Amino acid sequence: MRREEIIERVKKAILAEFDVEEDVLRPEAKLFDDLGLDSLDGIDLVVAIEREFKESHVKVVEGAVRNLRTLNDIYDYVEVHVSKTP
Amino acid sequence: MLGIHSNPTMNKQIALITGASRGIGRAIAMALARRGLHVIINFLNRVDCAEETLKLVTEQGGTGELLLFDVADYLACENAVQQCMEAHGHIDVLVNNAGIRKDELLVWTAPDDWRAVIDTDLNSFYNVTRHVVKEMLLKRKGRIVSVSSTSGRTGLPGQVSYSAAKAGLIGATKALAKEVAKRHVTVNAVCPGFIDTDMIGNMDREAILQTIPLGRLGTADEVGETVAFLCGDAAAYITGAVIDINGGIYT
Repeated sequence: MRREEIIERVKKAILAEFDVEEDVLRPEAKLFDDLGLDSLDGIDLVVAIEREFKESHVKVVEGAVRNLRTLNDIYDYVEVHVSKTP
Repeated sequence: MLGIHSNPTMNKQIALITGASRGIGRAIAMALARRGLHVIINFLNRVDCAEETLKLVTEQGGTGELLLFDVADYLACENAVQQCMEAHGHIDVLVNNAGIRKDELLVWTAPDDWRAVIDTDLNSFYNVTRHVVKEMLLKRKGRIVSVSSTSGRTGLPGQVSYSAAKAGLIGATKALAKEVAKRHVTVNAVCPGFIDTDMIGNMDREAILQTIPLGRLGTADEVGETVAFLCGDAAAYITGAVIDINGGIYT
């Protein structure tokens, strides 16, 4: 999957799930500080990402969650885990 | 003819009660069923008793089902919760009730017995709640009640393992209550004292009665009704609470 497609789909999932403006969604935007999410929102975020990339079997495992700090981290994570599955 | 008749559990709240084949767990299942919830009756060893619980539930007009799994087995719990979610799409109430006792002076407590009590009475909280609370958080509602014990409040000689596990449940309840309050999921515990169930077994009843201000054992129904109250809409503002049901034993 191309990175552009991943970025577009992650953004779409976030905009559908949370009350945030699209112009906040810069790659370096911090999930907590810039998007204003809290730790419980992180659960909704993970579920939304997993749902968006269901066909690619993207699963966000326990240890990975705390390393997802920015949108870029999410793009990287999805990119790696999408490409792992044929 | 499937599909013509509506699913009898549709529009019903779903409650999962661990260790509901006997005693307090059975009474909790019956109390929740009386309030119109569909009860999932977990059991491990006594299928005959679990079937009796289901029979009692249906006799009073309720609906329920049996679900065999070991609350001490993490993967079994994960699978069981997934099974409930696939069947019903939601779990509105979780009652962590399953528990065992292996009473012995600490000095004579074998490692396996210690671990068995902690696994079934305390680690079960993590094993089951972890998966259920995630679904509740996503749904923005839920009720979790854990059955602790007066033993976990006061400590009882000959029950160091049981007291440790039950006290652990209280800490877990208070912490999780704060963790998930924002999402309208409430988490509470009840601490039954001496309740007239199989668990009293061959304890010295006369000696026990001396310690209870109300002068009698409690009934499983009295615990069931308290738990059912905590699981209802009327208890929406109660969270992180630990409710003693013990006839006035000072804790």
